[in-house]
Amino acid sequence: MAKVLFEWDYSSYPGAKAYPHIFKPIQLGNLIIPNRVKYAATEDNLNDHNGFITDADVAYMRSRAEGVVGGMCFMQGVYMDEPRKGQGYVGQAACWDDKFIPGLKRIADAIHGEKAVAGFQLMDCGRVGAVEVPVGHAPSTVPQRLRIFKPMLEMTNAEVKEMIQQHVDAARRGVEAGFDVMEISGIVGYLLSNFLSSYTNRRTDEYGGDIRGRCQAMVEIIQGVKEVCGPDIPVGIRLCSEELLQDVRGNTPEESMETYKIAEEAGIDYISCTLGWQESIFPVISRDIPQGNWLYLAKRAKENVKVPISMAYRLFLPHLPNKAIEDGELDIWEICRSQIADPYMPKKVLEGREDEVRHCVACNLCLARLFRDAPMTCYINPLCAHEHDENIYPKPVAEDDKKEIMIVGAGPAGLECAYVAAQRGHEVHVYDKRTELGGTLIEAALSPYGDEELLTCTRYQKTMCEKAGVEFHLGEEVTEDLIRDEMPDSVVLATGPVYTPLQAKGADTGHVVNILDALTGKAEVGENVVVWGNRKPGIGVALKLAKEGKKVTLVGKDKSAGFDVNPSFKWRYMIYLRQNGVMAYNDCDIEEVGDGEIIVKTYDGYRFPVKCDTVVAAEREANNALKDVVQSEGIEVFVIGDALVPRNLSSSVHDGYRIGLRI
Amino acid sequence: MPVNAEKEITKLWRNLHTAQGELCRTYYRWREVALEVAGPDANPLDIGLKAAEMIGKDFGKSLLPRLNWLKGEEAFLMNLGRALAGIWATEGGIAMAEKGEGPGEILIRCTRCPWPSVAKEFGVPMEEVALTRERFFQSILGDVSVFFNIGLKIEMLKAIPRGEGEYLFKLSKDNQA
Repeated sequence: MAKVLFEWDYSSYPGAKAYPHIFKPIQLGNLIIPNRVKYAATEDNLNDHNGFITDADVAYMRSRAEGVVGGMCFMQGVYMDEPRKGQGYVGQAACWDDKFIPGLKRIADAIHGEKAVAGFQLMDCGRVGAVEVPVGHAPSTVPQRLRIFKPMLEMTNAEVKEMIQQHVDAARRGVEAGFDVMEISGIVGYLLSNFLSSYTNRRTDEYGGDIRGRCQAMVEIIQGVKEVCGPDIPVGIRLCSEELLQDVRGNTPEESMETYKIAEEAGIDYISCTLGWQESIFPVISRDIPQGNWLYLAKRAKENVKVPISMAYRLFLPHLPNKAIEDGELDIWEICRSQIADPYMPKKVLEGREDEVRHCVACNLCLARLFRDAPMTCYINPLCAHEHDENIYPKPVAEDDKKEIMIVGAGPAGLECAYVAAQRGHEVHVYDKRTELGGTLIEAALSPYGDEELLTCTRYQKTMCEKAGVEFHLGEEVTEDLIRDEMPDSVVLATGPVYTPLQAKGADTGHVVNILDALTGKAEVGENVVVWGNRKPGIGVALKLAKEGKKVTLVGKDKSAGFDVNPSFKWRYMIYLRQNGVMAYNDCDIEEVGDGEIIVKTYDGYRFPVKCDTVVAAEREANNALKDVVQSEGIEVFVIGDALVPRNLSSSVHDGYRIGLRI
Repeated sequence: MPVNAEKEITKLWRNLHTAQGELCRTYYRWREVALEVAGPDANPLDIGLKAAEMIGKDFGKSLLPRLNWLKGEEAFLMNLGRALAGIWATEGGIAMAEKGEGPGEILIRCTRCPWPSVAKEFGVPMEEVALTRERFFQSILGDVSVFFNIGLKIEMLKAIPRGEGEYLFKLSKDNQA
């Protein structure tokens, strides 16, 4: 008789009608899971540096558990060795001793408190581990391609057997802590994937050699973990369907499928299908990859094994997994970054509140933070990793403290501030001289490589504003007179940046156009374009124009292009600039604009001409318009977003949220 | 447009060559420091070879993200040969990689190298200059070999400091490894 942990009836929910295949049960081993949603194990760096669970992590997990509405919710992978060679993140949870069980139990209890299925993951980070110690362990001593990672030493045969036992012991602790599903991590460069890959496993003992030999450690771990878990706790594994390591002689796709078959033979109850390693030179999960791009890999996995297949990887929209499950190409919808951006995403889908989902923009800031030993942060979700802090939630203001707030600018900063302030009970009016919401994000989203997904941010904010009763005054420019007429209690200036005028000689007579006009096509742009400004806006317009066939050169004062883009995304822009023939002159400025060319001056004084018939001005600066007027009237004033300091979408959203809380 | 190309290029060219000269001098100044610290019993050649080994290892690491196997073994070896020649060019030498006679053989030929003349200024034996260059290249290959799981070897066939007119290195697969 299959085991049911919690009863869920989705029949009355609109989401279950729209996506019936997501909200139907599935059996893993002997356990019935009420739906097909799984929050994938995700590191968050929220635990203490000795591996003990913190309040912050419990709160983080509780909100994700509520989000999966009865589905599976996995806590982050735990490292299992006392010498900490397997620890890949400074705040990673540990499980090398029974003393960690009480903390782990808090997570399991929090997940159960939301009537969700609690998942436990075993994760020795192997080649990307040893974050707190000088040397890590690996099947073979293969040098690191990225200097950020520590050197690895080959494990002896005895050490491999000890590592296998560590997995089994940790699984037993997970069971004692109360978890319902066990998962083994064998992906992205972690230890088990190091054993599986021809790139990192050069062993000649029973744990190396051909693909079957390289799978031996995995097989012994599966068998040992299954034994301690018993019949009622299903055991799954995360495996690469493709390593994307052809450039360093990694496994072929056929070998990867062989690992799936061998895991199934060893008794695994489900497989989480992933792809790519942290060392791969191909993008996998950023927004330049179309949604649903990798579903063919789940389908291929299902053609090779009979156990259920789950997958995350660019499946942010529910219709994609719903259809894939219906078509027999997928069994479980895994969610990772989408629930970092909005912990309640699947719950909102179930309740027919999809318009309230704050979508992930696939920027990978969350990953960039983890790799730099910082706690999890989300680019667009200011609450992420602060769930435990009661001061981060909007609280109603007392009747006497309610204010009339004028927000100038309906971009992401203004809209974020507007709905948060309105939710607290203030009367909020948003003004914008434009006739549509979104501010300069409307133009920014015209850049190629998936930037249209940025608009999901303002769509969400619009919905939240409408539901919170924010009043919009679109097409209405705020002037000194309007402020004096309205005399609000507070003014929030979210007017966006000012575009810096090019001061170079000849700029007044040359063909210099504004970046927004270049992006929308309002300005005529010639064939030889120089974009002035090498931050994200400049890169975006440069790529757009280059893809239209123009010869584009980027000139900017920052030492490297994309200074304001997080490192986990920036490397892709560098590739795209190269692929599109965009030459970047960094640490440079435009000295003179002439007929058919400009003079570029390097930081150390060298000067050279660049062919140019159009200069696109993308440099920005703070916008102080209206500030003096508001202050002179004695009105409380806040400046947020790019109007304060030109930065990025994330800063605008976070500024808006925090000022919305403060007013 | 008022850019005097000759003036700009001359300025750049002078600064580049000064930097290249300083690179060699800085190395030999540090060699003197190491010899003084090591004391009179130390063998200067041993110190030179150890330095070449450490510097080469670090260069090898920097090559790992830039090399790849996507175009197969032959292209990989040629790219590696070009990378080694490129290091020489950065230092102020004239070097190129070309296909050798045997399969998978790459020749790296350097017809002008700044190191021997600077070494003379510091009284460094010419044989040490040749041997450290060989050790430097061998050390670069260490991590590259392990990383790509391919045995590689490099042999010095000719050396300018030995009076042979040019440097000639043969890069090939090491089937013994």
